[in-house]
Parts: sequence; structure tokens; C-alpha cells
Amino acid sequence: MDADFPLPDPDWAPACELWAGAARGVLRIPRCDGCGRFVWYPGTPCRRCGGSDVTWCDVSGRGRLFSWSVVRHAWIPQVTDRLPFVTGLVALEEDPAVRLVTYVVDCTPEALRCDQPVRVVFRRLSYPGVAHTIVAPLFTPADT
Amino acid sequence: MPTADATDWGFASELEDVSGAVAIVGIGDADYTRASGRTTREIAAQATERALADAGLRPADVDGLMYVPFSGDQFAARDFHAHFGTSHALWESERGGGMVWAGSAPHDAALAIRSGRASCVLNTFAVAWATQRSQMVGGPGQVHAEDMIKRQLEVPFGWFPQPVYFATIARRHMHEFGTTAEQLGAIAVACRRHAGLTPSAVMRDRPLSLADYLASPLIVDPFRKEDCCLISDGGAAYIMTSLERARDLRQPVVAVLGVGVGNSRTGTYWSQQGAFTSTPQVFAAPGAFAMAGLGPGDVDVLACYDPFTIVSLMQIEDMGFCPKGEGGPFVAGERLHFDTGTLPYNTHGGMLSHAYVLGIAHVVEIVRQLRHHAAAQVRAAEIGVYGGYTGPQASTLVLARR
Repeated sequence: MDADFPLPDPDWAPACELWAGAARGVLRIPRCDGCGRFVWYPGTPCRRCGGSDVTWCDVSGRGRLFSWSVVRHAWIPQVTDRLPFVTGLVALEEDPAVRLVTYVVDCTPEALRCDQPVRVVFRRLSYPGVAHTIVAPLFTPADT
Repeated sequence: MPTADATDWGFASELEDVSGAVAIVGIGDADYTRASGRTTREIAAQATERALADAGLRPADVDGLMYVPFSGDQFAARDFHAHFGTSHALWESERGGGMVWAGSAPHDAALAIRSGRASCVLNTFAVAWATQRSQMVGGPGQVHAEDMIKRQLEVPFGWFPQPVYFATIARRHMHEFGTTAEQLGAIAVACRRHAGLTPSAVMRDRPLSLADYLASPLIVDPFRKEDCCLISDGGAAYIMTSLERARDLRQPVVAVLGVGVGNSRTGTYWSQQGAFTSTPQVFAAPGAFAMAGLGPGDVDVLACYDPFTIVSLMQIEDMGFCPKGEGGPFVAGERLHFDTGTLPYNTHGGMLSHAYVLGIAHVVEIVRQLRHHAAAQVRAAEIGVYGGYTGPQASTLVLARR
């Protein structure tokens, strides 16, 4: 396991624009240069046309909570201090086929429901034993 | 923008028709345990010895060997020869082992036998994850933590490891179809009851009622501990040869009638799978049943790779045992019980309650059922099916007593 586990490497080329955008408070997602479709995960070929060239674009940061779970057991010791936490998938407003894995924060877990509107918030992620921190796109229930 | 349509998310593999080409003539279980200190090669060797004894074959009779090249040190040709003191030529294939390959290995073995590359093929799989867990290495999460995309875009957000993925899938299945905790619990209860009847099952002395299940705390909501498979040491082996030769061997003949393999275009990235609450069984099962000339209604006993209750439920739907979305009501009550149910399921206890050896013991159990030698024996079982699963792929193996 690398020393920064479970924090990401902000310099990993396929996703560095995501972290750079988050640091500026903007959610950015790559689009296929060939067909214009959003490509997720970055670093994988476009599922519509197979293209591999992308341009990162700003998106609204709005979406819907596709699904989630409430984690009450630490399978990795680094998350022990966060328990319980809500982790799940957010379907982007611009293309619901793009599902971002994220923490759902500032919420009452019992009140969550699938497909409810959520919006991005940018928060600093840190884990015990990892020297650096990173600003990451998390999501919270949006007022309808 | 629309999401992927209902069938765009995966596809069936093209397979050669191998119906009736091979039979499973020997089965062997290694000891199924919690942490035991054994190595995977020791476990596989024990299962192989028992499969050979079961078939009445000698090590020198085996001229083909199948295993999977990851998941620890598996039983390759050099290990076979080192263990048995043999040196003869062995056809070797890395398209065997457990998971999806426990179901698809008979297809590749049949092709090898048909083309004369082998005549008697052994497939083994073993894990020592219980031992490795106590040493904080290996285990089912490691391969996912090492996937760069998961490592960068899933793990940092706590979406790791497998129990978290499948709890999220279960939540969505509950939302789309009204599936309930009681229905998931019915699967866990059926499996535990079967384990209680099966001497080799790790959980044989740990009865579980639906009330026990519902009283168990949520560990990764909506999952309880009982929704999740065990972590075990163990393994199994089975031996395949032509149907003609099988008739001269000692055990009742169990023939391979159909094999199918389905694939998800998003691989192990469950988060992006178009049909989030489905498995590639959608693409695997139709081909296997067509090859066999049978349908789900003909099946007397079913065993599916069951890392979590929801994976059982989804495969039962996706293989066509009930319409999509009706799996919850379908599995409720005693439908899956070996004696009172109409779809006896994981009659050894499955990975939830027998042992987590990634499906290879499921195939052994189906063969045992069709020989009428099982502990929780389904009366007059003639047709048995194994559903294999890895996430990226699923397989369906149709077996019949002949």
C-alpha cells in the first residue's frame, strides 16, 4: 500500500484536472473530443465512440443521489475516526450515466432517498497517518 | 442525455457448443476452515488427492490442469508434479479456478479434450484469505485497492471494499423494486440452514433465524454481517473427461450440458455499470440454457457465487428464475430451502455459510446433488446449475445426471 493511502495522488495524470478544479472550487469532468459525451472514469475510453482524447469542462455541480450506504465498520483502519459515514454515488445533472463516487455530508442518513437532488461542496479530506490533505468534491442534499 | 439502454451495458461471449462433450467424474473438497496456517498450494493438493480418490484415478491419469493465475499461488503443473512425484506432459490452462471460471472451465476443458490436447482435466482453486487476513496481507480487497482508478476515485471517498459496493447496489435494488431486509434475510437463513446440515460447512453449528438476522446490527447499511460472505481457508477440485470415458468410471455420470459467459462493459467499476442492479448473468444464462436445450424451469438445484445476499438475488433474477425486480418476493419464505422450496439454492450453505472458496465448492456441491450424495439432498435432482460471478463477468454451467 502506498504511503498516502487512502488519499489520492493529485498528480496522477488522468484525474489531475479533477483535483485542480476542486482546489479552485469548480467541479470539472472530461468530455470526449470525438463525440462530446462525458467520459467517466477518466483514463478509460469513451463508452460511446471509443475515443481517448478528452477536454475537461466545468459542470454545474448539481446531481441526484443515485445510491449510498452508511458504513459503520472500518474495513481499513484509516476510516475508523469517520464512522459512521455515508458514501455513495451521485449521478451528474449534465449526464446521469456519469456517477461520481463521493462522501455525502451534512445530512441525516435516515432521511436520504434515492434520486434526491444534491449539490457539490468542496471540503478538505484528511486521513490519519497521511501527511498531506486534499480538497475534494463531496455532496450534500440540495434544497429543492 | 439518456443512460445506456437495457442491453448496451454488456454482451455474451461466443462459445463453442460443448453440450454432452464432457462429464465431471471426480470431486474433492479440501478442509474448509477459518485461519489454518496452510498455503493455497497445500489446500489445492489436498482437494486434488480427494478428487482423484473420488474418481478412482491416479495422478498419472490426469493430463490437463486448469487454474487461475492470480489469487495467490495456485496449483500449476510444476506444483502438481512436485506434489505427486510425476513428470508426464500436462496441458495447462489459466482459464480455470473459481469464480466465473469454476463455471466456464468445462467449456475450455471440452475443447482441449475434443482436440486431443488432453483427455482428463483437473480444475482446482484454493484460498488462504483467513490466514492472510490475520497477517494483514492479501484478502479480497487488495486487488481492488491496487486498481489505479479505484485507488484514485473510489477509495478516497470511503467507497471500498466490496461490502460497500454491494450495500450500495442493494440500496438501489430496494429503491427500484421494493426489495426488503426480510427478503435478503430469507437468503441468509436458507444458506445457514443448509450449512447446518453439511458437515464440512464452517457455520454448521451456528443456526440463524430470520428474527436473528433482523436483530443483527447494520454494519454497512443496508447490510448486516449475515448479508456478507465468510473469509475462509479452503478449496476444491473437480476432474473432467469425455462422456464415453466417464461411463467406465466409478461415480454416477454428471454431464456438462451447457456453458454461457456474460460480460459487463464497465468491468470491475460497478459504480459505472449501466444496469446497476443487474449482473452479467443477463448475458450468460440464455446461451447456457440454449446450449443445454433447457430452461430455468427445468432446474432442480441451483448454486450461485454469493459474496452478498443481493448478488444471489440479482443472479436468480438475471438467470430467468423470476422476472427482473421480483427476486425479493420470489426468495421470501422457504423458496430456496432444499426440502420445502421449489428452487433449492446453495444447498451446502454457499459462501455466506459454508466457506468462501469463490465458487469452486458450489460446483462440487451441484455434482454431489446430481449423484444423490449431498448432505441436504434435493429429492431426485436431475438438472443442476452453477452461476459464477466476478463482477466483470458471469458464467452459467448446466449439469445433468446421465
